[in-house]
Amino acid sequence: MSRVLTGDLARAGTPRRWAGVDRALPVWAAVVLALVFLMALPLGWLVWMSVAASGGVTLRHYLAVLDDPALMKALWNTVVLAFWVGLASIAVGAPLAWLTARTDLPGKALIRSLVLASFVTPPFLGAFAWVMLAGPNAGLLNVLWRDASGASEALVNIFTMSGLVFVVTIYTFPYVYIMVANTLALIASDLEEAAAILGAGRFTIARTVTLPMVAPALVSGFILAVLQALALFGSPAILALPAGFHTITTQIWSLFQYPPKVELAAAVSMPLLLATALLLLVQKRLLGRRGYAAVGGKGGQRRPIPLGAWRYPALVGCLVVMACAIFLPYGILAKAALSRAWAQPLSWSNLTLGNFTFTFFEYGATQAAIVNTLELGVATATIGAVLVALLSYITNRRLVVGHQLVAFLALAPIVIPGVVLAVALFIAYTRPPFVLYGTLTILFVAYLTKEMPVGYAQSEATFRTIPPELEDAGRILGAGRLRILRDVTAPLARSGIIAAWCFIFIGVIRELSASIILFTPATKVMSVVIFDLKEEGQFGAIAVLGIAMLVLTFATVALVQRALGRDVLGVRE
Amino acid sequence: MPGVSLKGLTRRYGDVAAVDGLSLEVKPGELVALLGPSGCGKTTTLRLVAGFLAPEAGEIWVGDRCLSSPAAVVPPERRRMAMIFQSYALWPHMTVAQNVGYGLRFKRGLAGAERDRRVAEMLRVVQLDGYEARYPGELSGGQQQRVAVARALVVEPEILLLDEPLSNLDANLREEMRFEIRRLHEAFGITTLYVTHDQAEAMVISDRIAVLEHGRIAQVGTADEVFLQPRTRFVAEFIGKTNLVDGVVVAPDTVAVGSLRLRVGGAGLAAGERVAVSIRPHDVVLTDGAPAGVNALRGTVQRASFLGDGVDYQVRVADSDVVLRVAAPAAPRRRAGESVGLTIDPAACIPLAASEERNR
Repeated sequence: MSRVLTGDLARAGTPRRWAGVDRALPVWAAVVLALVFLMALPLGWLVWMSVAASGGVTLRHYLAVLDDPALMKALWNTVVLAFWVGLASIAVGAPLAWLTARTDLPGKALIRSLVLASFVTPPFLGAFAWVMLAGPNAGLLNVLWRDASGASEALVNIFTMSGLVFVVTIYTFPYVYIMVANTLALIASDLEEAAAILGAGRFTIARTVTLPMVAPALVSGFILAVLQALALFGSPAILALPAGFHTITTQIWSLFQYPPKVELAAAVSMPLLLATALLLLVQKRLLGRRGYAAVGGKGGQRRPIPLGAWRYPALVGCLVVMACAIFLPYGILAKAALSRAWAQPLSWSNLTLGNFTFTFFEYGATQAAIVNTLELGVATATIGAVLVALLSYITNRRLVVGHQLVAFLALAPIVIPGVVLAVALFIAYTRPPFVLYGTLTILFVAYLTKEMPVGYAQSEATFRTIPPELEDAGRILGAGRLRILRDVTAPLARSGIIAAWCFIFIGVIRELSASIILFTPATKVMSVVIFDLKEEGQFGAIAVLGIAMLVLTFATVALVQRALGRDVLGVRE
Repeated sequence: MPGVSLKGLTRRYGDVAAVDGLSLEVKPGELVALLGPSGCGKTTTLRLVAGFLAPEAGEIWVGDRCLSSPAAVVPPERRRMAMIFQSYALWPHMTVAQNVGYGLRFKRGLAGAERDRRVAEMLRVVQLDGYEARYPGELSGGQQQRVAVARALVVEPEILLLDEPLSNLDANLREEMRFEIRRLHEAFGITTLYVTHDQAEAMVISDRIAVLEHGRIAQVGTADEVFLQPRTRFVAEFIGKTNLVDGVVVAPDTVAVGSLRLRVGGAGLAAGERVAVSIRPHDVVLTDGAPAGVNALRGTVQRASFLGDGVDYQVRVADSDVVLRVAAPAAPRRRAGESVGLTIDPAACIPLAASEERNR
């Protein structure tokens, strides 16, 4: 033993003044400062701008909002939209979750994949597809209806509030589905069997045992769906504007059209911001309640409930939902991409690859936009993944004082709707000391802030699965903290960090609501070009770009599934 | 081979002192068990020694080096210690050989071939040769444990720290590993601190036991000492089963319990002092008929529970409300309601200060 000890004596020595100080401390400090900067600057400007007056503070802008019947109407429309989307999402998502999580429904895996597809489909693409499907004049469904029935009236008109609610719901119900399916997967069958043995019928069990246990998940899913609907810009812009009404997001956007009324936009943003924060607070308290905790954890047996004669009718029901969310929209996008005229029947003479050549080679903005999107996607995802990895490592291992505050800040952007974030960034970065407007950097900052909560949550969950003892074990054997990060922590966290990268990347390539306010002609991204093409009525090109976006998205999703070795939705088998 | 000395260590979590002025000397080559219930500060003490935590007061010395003080803490990687964790903390992405060899990467002037040789040798010592290329997930709990032991021993640490290393094993394996760890300690002679809440484990494995209570040391001694001569109520109750009888000292060697008079071991008690007398169940001898002599009592069997290798009796002592647990051989059997005589050797009656505070 002594042969080793003598060699080491010089190295160990007596303690030095800074020997106990974490040498990685500057890294932690820089990361936390970056976070504070990302969050505080724009939000500070937003609040200030909403009350700013020459030489003082004023409530004038808020009064102007209250005085403007158009703005008030937009606020009201948003409330109506969000409420109905929330309810409809529960009506669709909860039964689907129950069927796939607890029953012997055939094709459960397929339904789950389709829900996932709906979850990652950019909602504005769905809205475009539904314009082509259910536009009052040329919409495919209406054409077919008129041909079949000889009627002259349209069957459905997507350019209505109910049309908007429908289109938003089919891409929002997965939030309810995820919450409910994950909860149902945790309820052991014996809880229900305990009720059965006491004489309760199947319906009574559902009402008195199962439903109360999933109630927190239901309400929580409702809130998430409402939040989505509140923050959404693309679908209302595509469906509500032609129908002649505004929601709050389209209203904020229009306030930015020339001449921009920034103060008013800031003032209108505040209720949206507050409502989001409030709803999330409610959701958090709800999940923290006893009801949810009772569901947590132990692995009792879960036996699928036999549906009997209802098996196939239930499957048909699920497939109808999926037809609305996936089959019909994807089908019409494919048809439009390959047709000379999307409204004409598919025939050899109508078939063309011209949309692809037009989109990728002839239309001026496309190539630059694709490059911009990919550049921003890769840059945001890479820098974002590093940032959230460090942040979640700091909070999980409690490396700095105030780590709870850091965690709070990292999750805080979730309360900021994209449009509001864009307003805040516009205000913050169009004036000294940081003039970024008109650069890709401002989009990068917007995306980084907006996607941070998703990446942070993913990466925090990763570190939670790596016990600190694994690091301690290496340190006591002679490895320094940074060496252990390299040898132990990084290899173990790798797949989780890759997943975080992918989540951020998916979020960036589909981002519209912030981009639409922050872009300039030189900094267009794919979603913005799609939006421009709509103004020009180029549905074939929209379809081509949309398909490109979907291919990118699904390739990334496949990467996540491989990295994590499980379903992105987190739904257990 | 240095020893370890802990001098007045204190560490708080919020308002609670997890370790509260703890002092302990571990002699070179000695294995000392830190024994106590959960929350007594034993794991915190171990993590202070390892350098994962900084003390708020006190110092930790290894040989002539001061490793921890409130002013400076030598980081874990430069303490020349090794630690075995309750969860084993094996790295799932490294093979058995990589796990065991990891610590050798930080030994200067150790060639790759020499490293491999030492890893192979150590795996032979823990009977895991042939498992080099396996991953921890492919091993049983007992094998994982032996990998953890090998990983700690192969670096030839000055100090070895073990944090409840056997608590994740099933009962049979646990007993086997106790002897295994003792065998390895005798083979390598490394100064060792061993944290456990299992008194049998502590008694089998260690040279001395330090019983911890509320972040302080209640008593340090060999297994015999802490079992036969507990110094506090807490130690008497924590190490093995015991009867505690409250009474008042009436003579230097006599305690009054109601109308009973108990002769106790030791002497020099102050009359009038309130004490608790600890009597181990197997030190009470049951007799037929009326006993005679010192500490000869009469009683009635209230309950008899046959345990296979003996009987656990509950006996009410006549003319008092004292009820004693008695561990007696299976024969002769006595029934509930039977009258019996009890005799207790005065040396087996250990007087303890009644109040906890007076021992602090």
